[in-house]
Amino acid sequence: MTADPTEQRIPDDAMRRLAEMRPGQSTSLFTSDLSVNEFLLVREAGFRPLGLVLGSSIYHVGFQMGRWNKNQELTVLSQAMYHARELAMTRMEAEADQLGADGIVGVRLDIEFKEFGSDLAEFIAVGTAVKADEPTTPDGHSWRNNKNQPFTSDLSGQDFWTLIQAGYAPLGMTMGSCVYHIAHQRFWQAMGNIGQNVELPQFTEALYDARELAMSRMQTEAEQLHAEGIVGVQLLSHGHRWGGHTTEFFAIGTAVRPLRPDHRIPTPQLVLPLTDR
Amino acid sequence: MADWDGRGLPPVAAERVRRAAAGGAWTSLLTAPAAFGLTDAGFDPVGEVMGSIVQRIGWAGYRGCGYTGWGAFSDGSVPTITSSDRQRFAGFGPYVAALDHGYATAMDRMAQEASAIGADGVVGVTVSQDHMEGGTREFTALGTAVRARSRTRPARVFGTALAATDVAKLLRAGWMPTDLVFGISVAIRHDDWATRQQTSWGAGNVEVTGYTELVTHARADARQRFAAHVRATGAEGAIVSSMGLRTWEIEPGENHRDHVAEATVFGTSLVRFHAGPAVPTRSLTYLPLR
Repeated sequence: MTADPTEQRIPDDAMRRLAEMRPGQSTSLFTSDLSVNEFLLVREAGFRPLGLVLGSSIYHVGFQMGRWNKNQELTVLSQAMYHARELAMTRMEAEADQLGADGIVGVRLDIEFKEFGSDLAEFIAVGTAVKADEPTTPDGHSWRNNKNQPFTSDLSGQDFWTLIQAGYAPLGMTMGSCVYHIAHQRFWQAMGNIGQNVELPQFTEALYDARELAMSRMQTEAEQLHAEGIVGVQLLSHGHRWGGHTTEFFAIGTAVRPLRPDHRIPTPQLVLPLTDR
Repeated sequence: MADWDGRGLPPVAAERVRRAAAGGAWTSLLTAPAAFGLTDAGFDPVGEVMGSIVQRIGWAGYRGCGYTGWGAFSDGSVPTITSSDRQRFAGFGPYVAALDHGYATAMDRMAQEASAIGADGVVGVTVSQDHMEGGTREFTALGTAVRARSRTRPARVFGTALAATDVAKLLRAGWMPTDLVFGISVAIRHDDWATRQQTSWGAGNVEVTGYTELVTHARADARQRFAAHVRATGAEGAIVSSMGLRTWEIEPGENHRDHVAEATVFGTSLVRFHAGPAVPTRSLTYLPLR
């Protein structure tokens, strides 16, 4: 950041503002879940934080038996993981909608398995609802997405700033989940490769299949939002509590659309940091 | 040594403040970049300040969910009771009031130390809670007191949990941190028939609506208290630094369990002092050569 502190007369103005403060005087008040860097960059990108928004769901994840020696998706679990996240996200979006927000930035999506029940997990979505200073985007559209919902983005404030600078707008978070059971090796198969360095094609294929399912589901969501692409994709695998052969593959990213035809940003300045890390 | 009556600062703290006010070497908890950032923004470190209180929490409130069979909704479910509800025989109101008092007193004593050594505010404050034996807890607040190179003095000492580097960035962008604010709430809900049904082994994929309601109420109440605290300081907004949730179960009667959720929100309230509509800072895009 650049600004000349002496020109701004920082301590004087800041102290005067503190001295003028009266309890309870402000009628509109914002809260945010952003760090200081994120807060300042979101402001600089032309957005005002309106409030911290949150959605939560405690979910009982059903039971499904996988065939011991078969590669297969456990659809009951896949549906549970997706549905519960969707509940949390929709509730968060509803809060933002009530605040009249254009979007939600810095969304965190967490799952916490609860101690008081083996199949119980809390799914929670937290973010900061923001409103743009300009009511429409530079190309004359609304900041909200084609479902007239506030846009959502799991990008950090820093990435959000860069995205807007480069002429893109976030549309919504897209996700795909697939819980997959990877077959155990049959006895003779396992005996056959003792002490050898070999590929286990069955395992490789299972992992490919599961990831592909998660990613294609995410892509379908992006297509529904008429997105140009998805940025910041994370492809995660969670074991959760299902034992070694059952894994959730979870793809999540932010779908974006272009705001202008060119996507040039100023050439970055090269700097040599004086810190040792 | 004369016994201290609990008013003002404890004698040793008062003595340390007297020594610091008289001059001599100052201490600080700042890192080198933090110290430079603050000095550049017009603040000088004055000393390290602390506030503490040891408090016994003996009465947490009647540990029941308020379930009497009366007042239940038509579907047999019962409402969640938060610590802010004014119900005499249910909820954890006294417990939350004790926590509020603990944190507020620790911060207030820290602010007294700061003001006694001529500081305008305290940055990088860490507040903590230590459990000691027999339901006793110590609440502490620790930070670095700073003084502005300014002719105007604020009416009261400002405080923030933000690191001094963050404070420097905010100041340059025209924002001033004012207070360390928090909101705490504890909610309790009777496990009704629907809850037991939804958590049973064969329930399949289903949301446990009762538990969702419990944590939603606890968080909503904590956030409301947080916002009320921010409003009471006179600030324009706040950034949240941490949000916590703890859930546990209690057994108020034989063969029956209820669930309790404690939600906390900590953050820093802000006021804007740059007057223009445009943000005074501009970010530079750079690429570190590390």
